[in-house]
Amino acid sequence: MNLGTRKLLDRSFTALGIGSIVIMGIMLLVVLVPIVSNGIGAIVFKGTIEHRKLLYTEFQRGDKASLGRELAESDASRKKVYEIMAAFESELKGMDEEKQADYQAKYNEVRTALKALLGPLPGEEMPELTRFRYGQTRWDKAKEKLHELLYEKKWDYSNPDAEAKEYFVSRAQGFEGSSLVKLFPYVEEHIDQLMLPEWTFYWGFITDSSLDSHIFGGIWPEIQGTLFLAIGAMLFAFPLGVVAAVYFTEYAREGFITSLLRSANSTLAGVPSIVFGLFGLAFFINTLKVSESKSVIAGSLTLAIMILPTIIRSAEEAILSVPKTYREASLSLGSTKWNTIATVILPAALPGILTGGVISLGRAAGETAPIIFTAAVSVGSAIGLADVFSSPTPALSWNIYNLASEHEAANEIRHVQYGMVLSLVTIVLLLNLSAIILRARISKKLKG
Amino acid sequence: MNGEGSATTGRSSAFVVSARKRKIQTITRTAGESTLLMIAAFVAIIVLFIFYFVARDAIPFFQIRGFSEFFTSSEWYPADDPPKFGALAIIYGSLMVTVGSAIIAIPMGVSAAICLSDVLPFSVRQYVKPVIEMLAAIPSVAFGFFALVILAPLLQNHGGQILMWTWWLIATPFLLLVVVVAAELLTTSVRDEKRRMLFRRILVVLFGLLALMMLFFVGRNLQKIEILTGTNALNVSIILSFMALPTIVSVSEDALQAVGRDLREGSYALGATRAETIVKTILPAASSGILAAVILGVMRALGETMVVWMASGNSSHVPDPWYNYLESVRTLTATIAGDMGEADQVTGSARFHVLFAMGLLLLIVSFISNYISERIIVRQRKVLSGQ
Repeated sequence: MNLGTRKLLDRSFTALGIGSIVIMGIMLLVVLVPIVSNGIGAIVFKGTIEHRKLLYTEFQRGDKASLGRELAESDASRKKVYEIMAAFESELKGMDEEKQADYQAKYNEVRTALKALLGPLPGEEMPELTRFRYGQTRWDKAKEKLHELLYEKKWDYSNPDAEAKEYFVSRAQGFEGSSLVKLFPYVEEHIDQLMLPEWTFYWGFITDSSLDSHIFGGIWPEIQGTLFLAIGAMLFAFPLGVVAAVYFTEYAREGFITSLLRSANSTLAGVPSIVFGLFGLAFFINTLKVSESKSVIAGSLTLAIMILPTIIRSAEEAILSVPKTYREASLSLGSTKWNTIATVILPAALPGILTGGVISLGRAAGETAPIIFTAAVSVGSAIGLADVFSSPTPALSWNIYNLASEHEAANEIRHVQYGMVLSLVTIVLLLNLSAIILRARISKKLKG
Repeated sequence: MNGEGSATTGRSSAFVVSARKRKIQTITRTAGESTLLMIAAFVAIIVLFIFYFVARDAIPFFQIRGFSEFFTSSEWYPADDPPKFGALAIIYGSLMVTVGSAIIAIPMGVSAAICLSDVLPFSVRQYVKPVIEMLAAIPSVAFGFFALVILAPLLQNHGGQILMWTWWLIATPFLLLVVVVAAELLTTSVRDEKRRMLFRRILVVLFGLLALMMLFFVGRNLQKIEILTGTNALNVSIILSFMALPTIVSVSEDALQAVGRDLREGSYALGATRAETIVKTILPAASSGILAAVILGVMRALGETMVVWMASGNSSHVPDPWYNYLESVRTLTATIAGDMGEADQVTGSARFHVLFAMGLLLLIVSFISNYISERIIVRQRKVLSGQ
């Protein structure tokens, strides 16, 4: 091969490597950007009057006087809507039967759509479920519901080869000639007065409990559950891991037992996370009976086992990276071996050990599979510290799965799901970021 | 217990400490060290416990149903009466997404590791490493959410376009390179300089046309593909590959770094380019370490639960044809996670124990591959340090 081609091959080889690194960076952005941008939408959004009403009735927050003013304003414009409907209903009674049945079916759809937008109609009994007691609390959702009120979705099956296409028909056409036809342009023009949207910073998303399985409210029980589980796991795993690391680095002599213990450690690191869940169920709950059924303590123990190898490995590395001179200086001053470890080596290795601990904490917070069978429930309120031994808890990771895949209104509460993912990712990445910073400071210090 | 420790202490305090006190010291030291050993042995005990307790609940399944159905039938109807526990399709699904993610992750991971260890200067590497660490830190359920809510609809609605553009982006530079190199290699035997250049140009044009045609036709056929469901094996493979990448990159980078400078410098001194040095000298020397990295990375993909549970579609059948990545699959991990909710109430039934049998299968596979990769790493370290 001539030199030109060899150089070309060399360049493309480099390009391949840089390309894959760039793709990894892009992937990170592609995953994080929608999560962050949509997740913020769970906290900062245009809230409607229904949102403020909900906050006041369910959480006793907000100013009563200004809420009353706003309610009066929106009620005044809503009154017209209900008047049109009442007029149409009386008109409907006077029609002949066939026409009446036809109108009634369409009118029921309009009523349902209007109820979804504005909440229960006046004179109606208060519904049992919280989700039906209020209209749309978010302006973006309200606009969707407005579209549903104005247009009927239909499917076009005319082309048998392709998939059916959706198209929209104006509902107003169906009521041509009746008094209800006024309703649609009125709602469309006055939607601002009906809903009174305004920018809201809903910090309650972090601190509130959820209402009616996450249709409204916040995610505090999940955040608290995640913190309980992760911190509980650390309480078990961190001391154990550090002591084991001290043994491996300071006391263990190379031999059969040590290499066996080391390979046990790497085996544990390679066990699939779902198997930890099975083990936690079979051992902690069914055999040891640490609790009747799922509980925070069982979940924490399972997570502790999962993160133990990481903690041991990072603590070992941290201890080994302490310069030999420290140890020799301490021993030459006449201190005992244990004394040297406790007062010289461990303090010097502490930042490194903490780095590993922080990363493991993040892993324990983000992991789902081990807690499915041992600790997580989908709906629940925040539990007290005393309940960790007996009761299960909702957790962010599990509820992201649950809301996205199993919730009956998964498409309606995308903002809650994004908010949860953002909270979880923020917790985990902040922990990792602090580990990275910690490590950078250590390496600076070691360099002198 | 510890010779070195007791010797130092003994010597330094021999004339202040009485024999009795020294005896007490020795006893406490022995006791302390045995406690440490016990704590260190805790991990080994846990590993034994995991094997024991998973196997304890897995064996009843084989006692009730035997082995042959589980491994040979692909009929998975655990809730029917009589129930059917054929896990072949599920095992195949696990295999499929693992292989799929390996196909994406191995070339990317190894080339990224090479780039990190041999190409990029230290100042750039500093910024690349946190990116890889962050990729590793993102919780699996967040990846699963991304796969389900963003990637799946994208694949379903614009699948053909995405496949076509991916093909063009990857294949265009690759084919161009192949054309140039092939033209060069085929004309080296021609002695006359002028004729050789002429031949080469003709070949480049000829091959170039062929490559263009191939690009165009494959691209058009890919564009025609309609993906019926976005939650399929391809979606999961893509996401899993990015979850396996950090492991592959960091472990293979360690292996590449372990090769040392002298081999590299020797190769450069002989006039090799960087690519030639890496491909012909360093990769062979680091091959076993890279193999270990690949095994570890691929095992992460096999053991991953949330992504496959959320985004694989969970339909238990062998795709038709067998390599069709655009169909939904179901994996071992997702089956364990998804079926436990219903099987839990009937503890003791085959339906409960079959999930543990799957767990045992995963555990054994992960144990074996972990053991192999560890052996490889140890052996490579010995070989490299023994040179």
